Amino acid sequence: MTKPVIEVEALAKSFGDNEVLKDITEKVEPGQVIVVIGPSGGGKSTFLRCLNLLETPTSGKVAFEGQDLTTLDTKSVNALREKMGMVFQGFNLFPNMTVLENIKLAPMKVKKTDDAAATKRAHELLTRVGLDDHADAFPTSLSGGQAQRVAIARALAMDPKVMLFDEPTSALDPEMVGEVLNVMQELAKEGMTMVVVTHEMGFAKSVGDRIWFMADGYIQENNTPDNFFAHPETDRAKDFLSKILM
Amino acid sequence: MKKKYGLLLAMLVALFMLVVPMSTQHAQAATDDSLEKIQKKGVLVMGTSPDYPPYEFQATVNGKSTVVGMDVEIGKKVAKDLGVKLKIKSMSFDSLLVALQTGKVDMVISGMNPTPARRKNVDFTHTYYQGGYEIVVNKADKGKYKDKDSFSGGTLGAQTGTTQYNAAKKQTKNTTVKGMTSNSDLILALQSHKVQGVAMEKPTAQAYVSNNKQLAALPSHFDMSSSATSSAIAFRKGSTSLVNKVNKTVDQVKKQDLVKKSYLPTAGKYLKTNTVNTSMGHYWKAFLTGIEYTLIITVCSVFFGFIIGIILALARMAKGGVLKTALRWLATAYVEFIRGTPMMVQVMFVYFGLGLFVNLPALTSGIIAISLNSGAYVAEYIRGGINSVDDGQTEAARSLGMSNGETMRYVVLPQALKNIWPSLGNEFITLIKDSSIVSIIGVTELIYQSNIVRSDTYRGVAPIVVIMVLYFILTFTASRILNYFERKMQHD
Repeated sequence: MTKPVIEVEALAKSFGDNEVLKDITEKVEPGQVIVVIGPSGGGKSTFLRCLNLLETPTSGKVAFEGQDLTTLDTKSVNALREKMGMVFQGFNLFPNMTVLENIKLAPMKVKKTDDAAATKRAHELLTRVGLDDHADAFPTSLSGGQAQRVAIARALAMDPKVMLFDEPTSALDPEMVGEVLNVMQELAKEGMTMVVVTHEMGFAKSVGDRIWFMADGYIQENNTPDNFFAHPETDRAKDFLSKILM
Repeated sequence: MKKKYGLLLAMLVALFMLVVPMSTQHAQAATDDSLEKIQKKGVLVMGTSPDYPPYEFQATVNGKSTVVGMDVEIGKKVAKDLGVKLKIKSMSFDSLLVALQTGKVDMVISGMNPTPARRKNVDFTHTYYQGGYEIVVNKADKGKYKDKDSFSGGTLGAQTGTTQYNAAKKQTKNTTVKGMTSNSDLILALQSHKVQGVAMEKPTAQAYVSNNKQLAALPSHFDMSSSATSSAIAFRKGSTSLVNKVNKTVDQVKKQDLVKKSYLPTAGKYLKTNTVNTSMGHYWKAFLTGIEYTLIITVCSVFFGFIIGIILALARMAKGGVLKTALRWLATAYVEFIRGTPMMVQVMFVYFGLGLFVNLPALTSGIIAISLNSGAYVAEYIRGGINSVDDGQTEAARSLGMSNGETMRYVVLPQALKNIWPSLGNEFITLIKDSSIVSIIGVTELIYQSNIVRSDTYRGVAPIVVIMVLYFILTFTASRILNYFERKMQHD
């Protein structure tokens, strides 16, 4: 059996008195697409941010390829973080740099890739997300959908082993959701391991390998998409599904 | 004439006592090798405040602005008799005795009266000159006034910190006494009728009157003890061997009446050459030097201030263990302290206070003090700028594997800089103007140079107008340049 990419054990996180994550133990296998869904405030984003230690867990273990991140020093965490690409709801492109510079920055500064190689790779990635003609544009001139595709290209530039998506389409106008989901679907097809927090049930159903239903700080249900949407096992999930439009 | 320490001086001395308890007393207790030291060094540094013709003033000699006057002649004679070279350092009168005590100068010859209060802090030679006081008035009013008692209901001006200032305060009735730091300002006040008369040392009064047809001098009839109207040379406390040696020179000067026979006429000659050409264009070199130093101070201070500012801002934002918390507290305390004390005091503290440990030149001290000051303000701008950058930027950079430092340097700071650019520009322009404060320690920047031109030419207003225009040209050019870069940074 292959080693899991991400392993979470008894993960808990609180902000002051507020226990956001209570006790989470799950695994992500290589090539899997995990879709995390659930009501707002259920801890989905916090959970995702604990995976690459943007949030420091209060207790428990987060392991990447068998390596427990919570015991590592800052330097090693930085090194492992680059292997986990992350895409944010708000894109978080660097507004003072062009699209190309956004993508080249981390490879050049962190991996010390030379300029020519980084530029070449950036153009390849931009072509892949269909935006090579925008290479010299500044982020503010892009539409939300374009910005998010650039953000995906930027994360891919570090050649991550796993991609974390934190509600990548929530801030987009409806007509732009499709172009971003298409890029993500392509990625999944190519075998990228992905953890996606989203409200796009269609995407969850068609692309997801597993659905993790999260509420009240726990993963309430870990199921296949077909089973989850057709025969949810927990009352909490039934209740959630009954409230959303399908 | 020139009197007790100013209040500022007393404050500074008190501050030194806090910083270096006992060190000065200790030095005094040591064996007296003052004479030997000077002779070994081969240079005698004389401190003086060159705004007091004919005692000491600036004149253009062979195209160069030079300190000349009766006191300089005495200084030359003293140096010659000691077999050493004379070096003259000019600074404001209030700063002279601190400079002497902190070793910036070896002696002070500046028409200084050996008052009992001063004797507590420094050693004086025998007096070399016995003067008196006169009151300068506008010639048109000459008939109205007779002496110090004629100004009832009016205002008398006098240089602050001087004996005549205190005499005017104590020995007149119903008269307001207005103090200003330089005689050229007082004469200007007289001519613009802000004051009705200016009390000053007799030779000084005579110099002004002979150089300005609109002025006249009256006897003052101040009641003075002889020590208050005479001048002596000041040395550091405990320099007995040096004082004894110099006393021989002073006695000789007195015996041969050199002051009246030789030194005053020499000084008079410079006064004449001074008034030959008083057009501002004639002094363009002085103003150019002023601009040069103002720019040197400003540019250096902006540069170092910015670096200090970044370090302080990061220290103030440090979070974590005991060490980082201590760092944060230190940086916060520093910023609060610097913002809560006047820059002028800081400049004096660096020059005189640090001078006890390392002998820093005035320009360096000025740059250090202003950089330290500016750093505190810039730190706050930068902190604000960093806080204004969205957390998402940091998260994105960190998620790409960049370290804290790389994130700061490549992602956060460039954006913060753009956000705070207008504030930084403001600070830069403020610094161009605030650099004028270092004139008090004798750095030849614009204000200092304009004061020299004013006392050189006996023209009060023209040099002020010139530097006003020059300052405006500097600041306006700076703000244009800053705007250019601001536009270049606009991407959104």
